[in-house]
Amino acid sequence: MRYPNRVMADEGYDPAELIEAYFERGWTDGLPVVPPTEKSIAQMLAGAALRGDEVVGEIPERGVVISAEKLAINAVMAGCRPDYLPVVVAAIRGLCHRDFAYHGPASSTGGSAMVLIVNGPVASRVGINSGNNAFGQGTRANATIGRAVRLVMMNVMNTRPGFLDRAVFGNPGKYSFCFAENETDHPWEPLHVERGYRADESTVTVYASNSLNLVYNQLAAEPEPLLRCVADALCNLGTPNLRGFNQSLLVLAGEHTDVLRQSAWSKRDVRAFVMEHARRTLADLKRAARRPGAVEPGDETTYKFAFERPEDILIVCAGGRAGSWSACLPGWGNKWTRSVTTRVEV
Amino acid sequence: MKLFDPTTPPAERTVTLAPRLQDLRGLRVGLVENTKFNSEAILARLGERLVREHGVTVSRMIRKRSPSHAVTEEAADALRRISDFIVSGVGD
Repeated sequence: MRYPNRVMADEGYDPAELIEAYFERGWTDGLPVVPPTEKSIAQMLAGAALRGDEVVGEIPERGVVISAEKLAINAVMAGCRPDYLPVVVAAIRGLCHRDFAYHGPASSTGGSAMVLIVNGPVASRVGINSGNNAFGQGTRANATIGRAVRLVMMNVMNTRPGFLDRAVFGNPGKYSFCFAENETDHPWEPLHVERGYRADESTVTVYASNSLNLVYNQLAAEPEPLLRCVADALCNLGTPNLRGFNQSLLVLAGEHTDVLRQSAWSKRDVRAFVMEHARRTLADLKRAARRPGAVEPGDETTYKFAFERPEDILIVCAGGRAGSWSACLPGWGNKWTRSVTTRVEV
Repeated sequence: MKLFDPTTPPAERTVTLAPRLQDLRGLRVGLVENTKFNSEAILARLGERLVREHGVTVSRMIRKRSPSHAVTEEAADALRRISDFIVSGVGD
Protein backbone atom coordinates (compact mmCIF):
# COMPACT_ATOMS: atom_id res chain seq x y z
CA MET A 1 0.00 0.00 0.00
CA ARG A 2 1.42 3.40 -1.01
CA TYR A 3 0.84 6.59 0.92
CA PRO A 4 1.39 10.08 -0.44
CA ASN A 5 3.83 12.12 1.61
CA ARG A 6 1.22 14.45 3.00
CA VAL A 7 -2.31 13.17 3.17
CA MET A 8 -5.14 13.85 5.48
CA ALA A 9 -5.79 10.58 7.16
CA ASP A 10 -9.20 9.08 7.36
CA GLU A 11 -10.74 8.77 10.72
CA GLY A 12 -10.25 5.08 10.27
CA TYR A 13 -6.48 5.26 9.74
CA ASP A 14 -4.85 2.51 11.67
CA PRO A 15 -1.73 3.79 13.52
CA ALA A 16 0.05 0.62 12.48
CA GLU A 17 -0.59 1.49 8.83
CA LEU A 18 0.87 4.93 9.40
CA ILE A 19 3.97 3.38 10.90
CA GLU A 20 4.18 1.09 7.88
CA ALA A 21 4.06 4.14 5.63
CA TYR A 22 7.26 5.45 7.23
CA PHE A 23 8.89 2.06 6.76
CA GLU A 24 7.76 1.98 3.16
CA ARG A 25 9.62 5.17 2.37
CA GLY A 26 12.84 4.11 3.97
CA TRP A 27 12.58 6.81 6.62
CA THR A 28 13.24 4.60 9.64
CA ASP A 29 16.26 2.93 11.17
CA GLY A 30 14.54 -0.42 10.93
CA LEU A 31 12.47 0.04 14.06
CA PRO A 32 8.96 1.47 14.13
CA VAL A 33 8.81 5.23 14.56
CA VAL A 34 6.38 7.51 16.34
CA PRO A 35 4.41 9.20 13.55
CA PRO A 36 4.76 12.97 14.00
CA THR A 37 1.85 15.38 14.04
CA GLU A 38 1.70 19.15 13.61
CA LYS A 39 1.27 19.37 17.36
CA SER A 40 4.09 17.07 18.35
CA ILE A 41 6.52 18.80 15.96
CA ALA A 42 5.58 22.21 17.39
CA GLN A 43 6.00 20.91 20.92
CA MET A 44 9.36 19.43 20.01
CA LEU A 45 10.58 22.73 18.55
CA ALA A 46 9.37 24.54 21.65
CA GLY A 47 11.49 22.19 23.74
CA ALA A 48 14.59 23.89 22.34
CA ALA A 49 12.99 27.29 21.67
CA LEU A 50 13.60 26.87 17.95
CA ARG A 51 11.69 28.06 14.92
CA GLY A 52 11.20 25.49 12.20
CA ASP A 53 13.12 27.50 9.61
CA GLU A 54 16.24 27.94 11.73
CA VAL A 55 19.38 26.24 10.50
CA VAL A 56 20.81 24.00 13.20
CA GLY A 57 23.88 22.82 11.33
CA GLU A 58 25.62 22.62 7.97
CA ILE A 59 28.32 20.52 6.37
CA PRO A 60 29.34 22.27 3.17
CA GLU A 61 31.43 19.37 1.85
CA ARG A 62 28.33 17.17 1.83
CA GLY A 63 25.80 19.80 0.82
CA VAL A 64 24.03 19.21 4.13
CA VAL A 65 21.79 21.81 5.72
CA ILE A 66 19.86 20.75 8.80
CA SER A 67 16.74 22.74 9.57
CA ALA A 68 15.14 22.77 12.97
CA GLU A 69 11.89 21.49 11.46
CA LYS A 70 13.52 18.35 10.05
CA LEU A 71 15.41 17.86 13.26
CA ALA A 72 12.17 18.03 15.24
CA ILE A 73 10.37 15.62 12.90
CA ASN A 74 13.14 13.07 13.33
CA ALA A 75 13.22 13.60 17.09
CA VAL A 76 9.51 12.93 17.32
CA MET A 77 9.95 9.83 15.18
CA ALA A 78 12.71 8.64 17.50
CA GLY A 79 10.42 8.93 20.52
CA CYS A 80 12.11 11.92 22.17
CA ARG A 81 10.39 14.13 24.68
CA PRO A 82 10.58 17.83 23.80
CA ASP A 83 12.95 18.53 26.66
CA TYR A 84 15.47 16.16 25.05
CA LEU A 85 15.74 18.31 21.94
CA PRO A 86 18.44 20.70 23.24
CA VAL A 87 20.67 17.66 23.73
CA VAL A 88 19.97 16.43 20.21
CA VAL A 89 20.69 19.91 18.84
CA ALA A 90 24.03 20.09 20.64
CA ALA A 91 24.97 16.64 19.36
CA ILE A 92 24.14 17.60 15.79
CA ARG A 93 26.16 20.80 16.12
CA GLY A 94 29.05 18.68 17.31
CA LEU A 95 28.77 16.40 14.29
CA CYS A 96 28.83 19.47 12.03
CA HIS A 97 31.93 20.93 13.66
CA ARG A 98 34.94 20.99 11.34
CA ASP A 99 37.11 19.17 13.85
CA PHE A 100 34.70 16.25 13.86
CA ALA A 101 35.11 16.00 10.08
CA TYR A 102 31.82 14.18 9.67
CA HIS A 103 32.30 12.55 6.30
CA GLY A 104 35.03 10.13 7.35
CA PRO A 105 33.60 8.58 10.50
CA ALA A 106 30.06 8.65 9.14
CA SER A 107 30.83 6.99 5.82
CA SER A 108 33.82 4.78 6.51
CA THR A 109 33.81 1.02 6.15
CA GLY A 110 34.64 1.00 9.88
CA GLY A 111 31.01 1.78 10.65
CA SER A 112 31.35 4.03 13.64
CA ALA A 113 28.71 4.59 16.25
CA MET A 114 28.36 8.22 17.21
CA VAL A 115 28.88 8.04 20.94
CA LEU A 116 27.16 10.88 22.81
CA ILE A 117 28.51 11.65 26.28
CA VAL A 118 26.26 14.02 28.18
CA ASN A 119 27.58 16.15 31.02
CA GLY A 120 26.11 18.72 33.35
CA PRO A 121 22.70 19.31 34.91
CA VAL A 122 20.70 18.45 31.79
CA ALA A 123 21.57 14.79 32.25
CA SER A 124 19.70 14.36 35.51
CA ARG A 125 17.03 16.86 34.52
CA VAL A 126 15.90 14.79 31.52
CA GLY A 127 16.90 11.45 33.02
CA ILE A 128 19.88 10.29 30.98
CA ASN A 129 21.26 7.15 32.57
CA SER A 130 24.87 7.22 33.76
CA GLY A 131 24.70 4.14 35.92
CA ASN A 132 23.76 0.51 35.64
CA ASN A 133 23.40 -0.54 31.98
CA ALA A 134 24.28 2.98 30.80
CA PHE A 135 25.14 1.70 27.31
CA GLY A 136 22.18 -0.65 27.19
CA GLN A 137 18.44 -0.67 26.93
CA GLY A 138 15.82 0.54 29.34
CA THR A 139 16.11 4.33 29.56
CA ARG A 140 14.05 6.45 27.23
CA ALA A 141 16.43 9.41 27.09
CA ASN A 142 19.48 7.30 26.27
CA ALA A 143 17.60 5.28 23.68
CA THR A 144 15.80 8.08 21.90
CA ILE A 145 18.37 10.90 21.93
CA GLY A 146 20.93 8.71 20.23
CA ARG A 147 18.28 7.36 17.93
CA ALA A 148 17.20 10.85 16.93
CA VAL A 149 20.77 11.73 16.02
CA ARG A 150 21.06 8.61 13.88
CA LEU A 151 17.73 9.32 12.15
CA VAL A 152 18.92 12.86 11.36
CA MET A 153 22.13 11.38 10.00
CA MET A 154 20.14 9.06 7.75
CA ASN A 155 17.31 11.31 6.69
CA VAL A 156 18.91 14.76 6.60
CA MET A 157 22.63 14.12 6.36
CA ASN A 158 22.09 11.38 3.77
CA THR A 159 24.13 8.84 5.67
CA ARG A 160 22.18 5.82 4.50
CA PRO A 161 23.46 2.26 4.55
CA GLY A 162 24.85 1.37 1.16
CA PHE A 163 24.93 4.99 0.02
CA LEU A 164 27.05 7.34 2.12
CA ASP A 165 27.24 4.85 4.98
CA ARG A 166 29.63 2.19 3.73
CA ALA A 167 30.00 0.24 6.98
CA VAL A 168 31.19 -3.32 6.52
CA PHE A 169 29.37 -4.45 9.64
CA GLY A 170 28.07 -1.40 11.42
CA ASN A 171 27.37 -2.09 15.06
CA PRO A 172 24.39 -2.00 17.40
CA GLY A 173 25.58 1.36 18.73
CA LYS A 174 24.54 2.84 15.41
CA TYR A 175 20.91 2.64 16.53
CA SER A 176 21.71 4.74 19.57
CA PHE A 177 24.70 5.31 21.81
CA CYS A 178 24.03 7.97 24.39
CA PHE A 179 24.88 8.04 28.07
CA ALA A 180 25.67 10.53 30.80
CA GLU A 181 28.84 10.74 32.80
CA ASN A 182 28.48 9.80 36.46
CA GLU A 183 29.54 13.10 37.99
CA THR A 184 28.49 12.36 41.54
CA ASP A 185 30.71 9.33 42.12
CA HIS A 186 33.82 10.54 40.40
CA PRO A 187 37.42 10.81 41.56
CA TRP A 188 38.23 13.66 39.19
CA GLU A 189 36.64 16.53 37.36
CA PRO A 190 34.15 15.42 34.70
CA LEU A 191 34.87 15.55 31.00
CA HIS A 192 33.19 18.88 30.25
CA VAL A 193 34.98 20.67 33.09
CA GLU A 194 38.26 19.25 31.88
CA ARG A 195 37.41 20.72 28.50
CA GLY A 196 36.85 24.20 29.86
CA TYR A 197 33.15 24.30 30.69
CA ARG A 198 31.72 25.14 34.08
CA ALA A 199 30.34 22.29 36.15
CA ASP A 200 26.87 23.85 35.97
CA GLU A 201 26.94 24.01 32.19
CA SER A 202 25.60 21.11 30.17
CA THR A 203 27.41 19.64 27.19
CA VAL A 204 27.37 16.81 24.72
CA THR A 205 30.60 15.29 23.51
CA VAL A 206 30.38 13.47 20.18
CA TYR A 207 32.91 10.75 19.59
CA ALA A 208 33.17 8.24 16.74
CA SER A 209 33.94 4.67 17.73
CA ASN A 210 33.54 1.48 15.79
CA SER A 211 33.99 -0.97 18.62
CA LEU A 212 33.41 -1.56 22.30
CA ASN A 213 35.88 -3.65 24.26
CA LEU A 214 34.86 -4.44 27.79
CA VAL A 215 37.77 -4.80 30.18
CA TYR A 216 37.41 -7.21 33.07
CA ASN A 217 39.65 -7.36 36.09
CA GLN A 218 38.43 -8.51 39.47
CA LEU A 219 41.78 -9.02 41.14
CA ALA A 220 43.50 -5.72 40.54
CA ALA A 221 43.70 -3.68 43.72
CA GLU A 222 46.26 -1.26 42.34
CA PRO A 223 46.10 0.91 39.22
CA GLU A 224 48.97 -0.69 37.33
CA PRO A 225 47.54 -4.18 36.67
CA LEU A 226 44.12 -2.74 35.94
CA LEU A 227 45.49 -0.22 33.47
CA ARG A 228 47.65 -2.83 31.80
CA CYS A 229 44.39 -4.51 30.77
CA VAL A 230 43.10 -1.20 29.51
CA ALA A 231 46.27 -0.51 27.54
CA ASP A 232 46.17 -3.99 26.05
CA ALA A 233 42.57 -3.55 24.92
CA LEU A 234 43.46 -0.28 23.23
CA CYS A 235 46.33 -1.64 21.17
CA ASN A 236 45.34 -5.12 20.05
CA LEU A 237 46.65 -5.91 16.61
CA GLY A 238 43.28 -5.50 14.94
CA THR A 239 42.66 -2.05 16.38
CA PRO A 240 42.29 0.62 13.72
CA ASN A 241 44.62 3.58 13.75
CA LEU A 242 47.53 1.88 15.46
CA ARG A 243 49.85 4.28 13.72
CA GLY A 244 50.16 6.76 16.51
CA PHE A 245 47.25 9.02 15.77
CA ASN A 246 44.66 7.37 17.86
CA GLN A 247 42.00 8.86 20.07
CA SER A 248 40.28 6.49 22.45
CA LEU A 249 37.60 6.60 25.09
CA LEU A 250 38.03 4.88 28.42
CA VAL A 251 34.88 4.54 30.51
CA LEU A 252 35.60 3.53 34.09
CA ALA A 253 32.86 1.96 36.19
CA GLY A 254 32.42 1.83 39.95
CA GLU A 255 34.81 -0.83 41.22
CA HIS A 256 37.60 0.20 38.88
CA THR A 257 36.99 3.83 39.70
CA ASP A 258 37.43 2.92 43.36
CA VAL A 259 40.81 1.35 42.66
CA LEU A 260 42.01 4.57 41.08
CA ARG A 261 40.42 6.79 43.72
CA GLN A 262 42.01 4.86 46.56
CA SER A 263 45.40 5.04 44.91
CA ALA A 264 45.02 8.80 44.50
CA TRP A 265 46.02 8.56 40.87
CA SER A 266 45.08 11.58 38.81
CA LYS A 267 43.72 11.50 35.29
CA ARG A 268 47.15 12.61 34.22
CA ASP A 269 48.70 9.57 35.91
CA VAL A 270 46.21 7.25 34.24
CA ARG A 271 46.90 8.74 30.83
CA ALA A 272 50.66 8.56 31.26
CA PHE A 273 50.52 4.91 32.24
CA VAL A 274 48.17 3.93 29.43
CA MET A 275 50.26 5.86 26.89
CA GLU A 276 53.39 4.10 28.00
CA HIS A 277 51.84 0.64 27.88
CA ALA A 278 49.57 0.88 24.84
CA ARG A 279 52.33 -0.17 22.51
CA ARG A 280 53.39 -3.03 20.28
CA THR A 281 56.78 -4.08 19.06
CA LEU A 282 57.54 -3.39 15.44
CA ALA A 283 58.06 -7.13 15.07
CA ASP A 284 54.51 -7.80 16.30
CA LEU A 285 53.12 -5.27 13.89
CA LYS A 286 55.08 -6.68 10.96
CA ARG A 287 54.11 -10.27 11.73
CA ALA A 288 50.49 -9.16 11.68
CA ALA A 289 51.00 -7.11 8.50
CA ARG A 290 50.05 -3.94 10.31
CA ARG A 291 53.38 -2.59 9.11
CA PRO A 292 55.02 -3.55 5.84
CA GLY A 293 58.21 -5.51 5.52
CA ALA A 294 59.95 -8.46 7.09
CA VAL A 295 60.95 -8.57 10.74
CA GLU A 296 64.48 -7.28 11.09
CA PRO A 297 67.02 -7.28 13.88
CA GLY A 298 65.97 -4.77 16.46
CA ASP A 299 62.25 -4.96 15.64
CA GLU A 300 61.58 -7.12 18.71
CA THR A 301 62.72 -4.28 20.95
CA THR A 302 61.45 -1.34 18.91
CA TYR A 303 58.09 -0.14 20.17
CA LYS A 304 55.35 1.72 18.38
CA PHE A 305 52.92 3.57 20.60
CA ALA A 306 49.18 3.81 20.05
CA PHE A 307 48.98 7.37 21.37
CA GLU A 308 50.99 10.47 20.64
CA ARG A 309 49.39 12.79 23.16
CA PRO A 310 47.86 12.22 26.60
CA GLU A 311 44.77 14.21 25.75
CA ASP A 312 43.91 11.68 23.08
CA ILE A 313 42.82 9.33 25.85
CA LEU A 314 39.36 10.49 26.91
CA ILE A 315 38.48 9.37 30.43
CA VAL A 316 34.89 9.23 31.60
CA CYS A 317 33.16 7.61 34.57
CA ALA A 318 29.88 5.76 34.10
CA GLY A 319 28.28 2.38 34.61
CA GLY A 320 27.10 0.34 37.55
CA ARG A 321 28.62 0.33 41.02
CA ALA A 322 29.01 -3.43 41.23
CA GLY A 323 31.09 -5.50 38.85
CA SER A 324 34.71 -5.34 37.79
CA TRP A 325 34.22 -3.90 34.35
CA SER A 326 35.33 -0.91 32.41
CA ALA A 327 35.01 -0.15 28.74
CA CYS A 328 37.47 0.82 26.04
CA LEU A 329 36.19 2.34 22.84
CA PRO A 330 38.91 2.77 20.24
CA GLY A 331 38.19 5.75 18.09
CA TRP A 332 38.48 6.81 14.54
CA GLY A 333 41.77 8.62 15.04
CA ASN A 334 42.81 12.09 16.09
CA LYS A 335 43.86 13.21 12.65
CA TRP A 336 40.79 12.45 10.56
CA THR A 337 38.26 13.19 13.27
CA ARG A 338 38.33 14.53 16.79
CA SER A 339 35.76 14.31 19.54
CA VAL A 340 33.91 17.59 19.92
CA THR A 341 32.19 18.97 23.02
CA THR A 342 29.28 21.35 22.49
CA ARG A 343 27.27 23.29 25.03
CA VAL A 344 23.61 22.39 25.46
CA GLU A 345 21.57 25.58 25.15
CA VAL A 346 18.73 25.34 27.66
CA MET B 1 -3.06 13.12 10.56
CA LYS B 2 -0.31 13.54 7.95
CA LEU B 3 2.91 11.93 6.94
CA PHE B 4 5.75 14.33 7.61
CA ASP B 5 8.74 13.91 5.37
CA PRO B 6 11.83 13.75 7.63
CA THR B 7 14.31 13.95 4.77
CA THR B 8 16.29 16.73 3.17
CA PRO B 9 18.06 16.11 -0.13
CA PRO B 10 21.63 17.36 -0.44
CA ALA B 11 21.82 20.99 -1.52
CA GLU B 12 22.22 21.13 -5.27
CA ARG B 13 25.27 22.72 -6.77
CA THR B 14 26.55 22.99 -10.27
CA VAL B 15 29.88 21.37 -10.95
CA THR B 16 31.64 22.34 -14.16
CA LEU B 17 34.32 20.08 -15.53
CA ALA B 18 37.59 21.74 -16.46
CA PRO B 19 38.30 21.77 -20.18
CA ARG B 20 40.02 18.56 -21.25
CA LEU B 21 43.65 19.08 -22.17
CA GLN B 22 44.82 17.82 -25.54
CA ASP B 23 48.55 17.92 -24.88
CA LEU B 24 50.28 17.96 -21.51
CA ARG B 25 53.76 18.80 -22.75
CA GLY B 26 55.23 21.83 -21.03
CA LEU B 27 52.34 22.16 -18.58
CA ARG B 28 52.54 22.34 -14.81
CA VAL B 29 50.63 19.86 -12.67
CA GLY B 30 49.56 20.43 -9.07
CA LEU B 31 48.88 17.43 -6.85
CA VAL B 32 46.38 17.30 -4.00
CA GLU B 33 47.12 14.65 -1.43
CA ASN B 34 44.19 13.75 0.79
CA THR B 35 46.11 12.01 3.64
CA LYS B 36 44.70 8.54 2.99
CA PHE B 37 47.33 5.85 3.42
CA ASN B 38 49.57 5.67 0.35
CA SER B 39 47.88 8.63 -1.29
CA GLU B 40 51.17 10.52 -1.16
CA ALA B 41 53.08 7.60 -2.66
CA ILE B 42 50.59 7.09 -5.47
CA LEU B 43 50.49 10.76 -6.38
CA ALA B 44 54.27 11.06 -6.25
CA ARG B 45 54.58 8.10 -8.60
CA LEU B 46 51.94 9.56 -10.88
CA GLY B 47 53.80 12.86 -10.92
CA GLU B 48 57.02 11.08 -11.88
CA ARG B 49 55.29 9.36 -14.78
CA LEU B 50 53.72 12.57 -15.97
CA VAL B 51 57.13 14.20 -15.94
CA ARG B 52 58.83 11.29 -17.65
CA GLU B 53 56.21 10.39 -20.22
CA HIS B 54 54.39 13.65 -20.89
CA GLY B 55 56.96 16.36 -20.30
CA VAL B 56 55.10 18.13 -17.51
CA THR B 57 56.59 19.68 -14.41
CA VAL B 58 55.17 19.13 -10.94
CA SER B 59 54.44 22.53 -9.48
CA ARG B 60 53.64 21.39 -5.94
CA MET B 61 51.94 18.69 -3.92
CA ILE B 62 49.68 20.01 -1.20
CA ARG B 63 48.17 18.02 1.65
CA LYS B 64 44.58 18.30 2.79
CA ARG B 65 43.76 18.42 6.48
CA SER B 66 41.96 15.07 6.18
CA PRO B 67 40.04 13.11 3.54
CA SER B 68 36.84 14.66 4.89
CA HIS B 69 37.93 18.27 4.58
CA ALA B 70 37.84 20.26 1.39
CA VAL B 71 40.97 22.02 0.19
CA THR B 72 40.95 25.48 1.70
CA GLU B 73 40.26 28.37 -0.63
CA GLU B 74 43.67 29.83 0.10
CA ALA B 75 45.47 26.62 -0.75
CA ALA B 76 43.36 26.10 -3.87
CA ASP B 77 44.09 29.64 -5.07
CA ALA B 78 47.80 29.27 -4.43
CA LEU B 79 47.94 25.97 -6.30
CA ARG B 80 45.84 27.33 -9.15
CA ARG B 81 48.28 30.20 -9.65
CA ILE B 82 51.23 27.89 -10.27
CA SER B 83 49.48 25.01 -12.06
CA ASP B 84 47.88 24.38 -15.43
CA PHE B 85 46.03 21.31 -14.24
CA ILE B 86 45.54 19.47 -10.98
CA VAL B 87 45.28 15.85 -9.97
CA SER B 88 43.58 14.85 -6.75
CA GLY B 89 43.61 11.22 -5.78
CA VAL B 90 42.60 8.74 -3.15
CA GLY B 91 44.80 5.89 -2.07
CA ASP B 92 44.23 3.40 0.72
